[in-house]
Amino acid sequence: MKESRMSKIIGLNLIFVLVLLGLTITLSAQQSWKMTIYYDYTYDITDDGYLTEARLDNNNRFFFRRAYFQYENKIAKNIKFRFRYDADRKADDKFRPFVKHLFLEWKNLIPKSKIKVGMTETLTWSPIAEKKWGYRSVAKTLMDNYKGVTGKKIDATSADLGISLSGVVSKEIRYAFMVSNGSHYSHPEKDKYKKFMGQLHLIPIAGLSLVGYADYEKQSEDESALTYKADIFLEMVEGLIFGGEWFVYDSDVNKVDDRQFNRSGFSFYGRYAAIPDKLNVFARYDRYEPNTEAKDDEINLIIAGVDFTPIHKSFKIQPNIWYYSYADPEKKDDIVFNLTFYYTF
Amino acid sequence: MNFRRLLLICLICFGIIFAANFTLARQKMIQIKGSDTLVNLVQILAEAYMEKHPETPIAVLGGGSGTGIAALINGTCDIANHSRPLKDKEINLAWEKGIKPRRFIIAVDGVSIIVNESNPIEKLGIDQLGAIYRGEIKSWKEVGGPDKQISLYGRQSNSGTYVFFQEHVLGKQNYSPDMMRMNGNAQIVEGIIQDESGIGYVGVGYVTDSKKGKVRKGIKVLKVSKDANSPAYSPLDKAAVDSGKYPIARPLFQSTNGKPKDVILDFIKFETGPDGQKIVEREGFFTIGSVHKAQNEKNLK
Repeated sequence: MKESRMSKIIGLNLIFVLVLLGLTITLSAQQSWKMTIYYDYTYDITDDGYLTEARLDNNNRFFFRRAYFQYENKIAKNIKFRFRYDADRKADDKFRPFVKHLFLEWKNLIPKSKIKVGMTETLTWSPIAEKKWGYRSVAKTLMDNYKGVTGKKIDATSADLGISLSGVVSKEIRYAFMVSNGSHYSHPEKDKYKKFMGQLHLIPIAGLSLVGYADYEKQSEDESALTYKADIFLEMVEGLIFGGEWFVYDSDVNKVDDRQFNRSGFSFYGRYAAIPDKLNVFARYDRYEPNTEAKDDEINLIIAGVDFTPIHKSFKIQPNIWYYSYADPEKKDDIVFNLTFYYTF
Repeated sequence: MNFRRLLLICLICFGIIFAANFTLARQKMIQIKGSDTLVNLVQILAEAYMEKHPETPIAVLGGGSGTGIAALINGTCDIANHSRPLKDKEINLAWEKGIKPRRFIIAVDGVSIIVNESNPIEKLGIDQLGAIYRGEIKSWKEVGGPDKQISLYGRQSNSGTYVFFQEHVLGKQNYSPDMMRMNGNAQIVEGIIQDESGIGYVGVGYVTDSKKGKVRKGIKVLKVSKDANSPAYSPLDKAAVDSGKYPIARPLFQSTNGKPKDVILDFIKFETGPDGQKIVEREGFFTIGSVHKAQNEKNLK
């Protein structure tokens, strides 16, 4: 039943897209297409770690991690339409596409702002943190990666159905707001409650960014969830970016023995353009705390690597190492090597 | 396990050594990127500078004003060439990334309207030009020419000339969807030479043969008037460009991240000094006047 409903939604989305394409192709020549692929060879360096011991029989593999297909059409001076298909690997190992973005963007309806309506990126990490980190091909950001590393859910998604407004007050002050279903881009809305997001981005000095974010959604009549997040970015030395991210997910739903707990984490990273357009180096440290009331469940993750562009910026090779260490004394450290291939065209 | 740890250590060390070696190499060459209108001129200026300073290699690439400005903001060039001022969006992004652009004017350009030499049209008003490029006037007959459909040649949206022309001639409205979007000035000139119905806009440095000093064979440069009641002027008339009587004139810029230093400062001083300005004039552009010189001096402090 759920699958049938999802199929209908996807089908309707496709019809919507085709109609818009049909209308817009005749109106404007300002169209662009883009495809991006992340492809890995992964090798487990340790064989007795918490993760790596469990997959001894499969300790090295090639796989496509993600593929994006994006179409944009500027149908008028201030109006743009975007359609984006993502594909990633599912439990049965098949590579399945899904609609990630399907929105209309209207610039300057309110001066120096843009409004997006449809399925669009949320404010949580995509517009700023992910861009500053710059290596989505290697790893998602802290919040985006949370469930993948800890196995624990936080109520956050990179895209959702809703409406957003973002704008610039001055070069020192930017803002963004969004209202969305709160149910994730791949799930239909399941309740009457909506998620409200707000973000303030301050740049008091050239190269120093301070970003404050919060979101709120009721979970039921008596329960609600609140996320608050802070980021800092330093770009004051040519070719060098430092970033830091900290967040807390505070949900009334998260309880153990009737005691409410939070999930939190923080991350520090840096990247440096050793040879602009040719060679970059990057490193990151993440700390995950799935239960602020529990002991010995913290996870530390270090990611380090290089980003090499051998011929053209559309093709990059990014060897990287992931080092996991666990507060739980029962779990041994894991070290995994990835050779990531990044294509975009 | 020992072998694996050794491999890990080697990979990390290799990366660091590799990065360190190439970082040193990177610092020695001046990288200049951006405006296609400026690329040939700046390449010639760079060659003249390198003759006197062979220890300072300079690489000059095109890609359009937008590309050059983006490269300056991303830290992948030392000097951005651009034929339009920075947009608000670029100023905001530069601030976010800790880049403080300083702008210098190195030449003046009369954006030239060219047609095939067989076209009998000699002049157009700005209003007519705007209507042609918006697609409102589609036939040469409507402006006193032959009964032929007009073929439009222009640039791509990352070009400063594209943006400048859209703002100053099209009144910020959209280009006709029939306009052919060429990669650079040279492609527009070649297109017009082949197309008797064509019209294009290019930097003035591309309309003359630098060796002979005459308009290139195969094209005609139109005179342009501000309105129906004003006389029309040629972009090749320096006095008309300097005085503002030629209506589509513009300064040509270079920007650096903050106050330029060392070899970059020296190169910019060469470009804006007497030797550099002689090259500017020889290549068909116009030299900078006293107002531009004063602005440059201020930005060098």
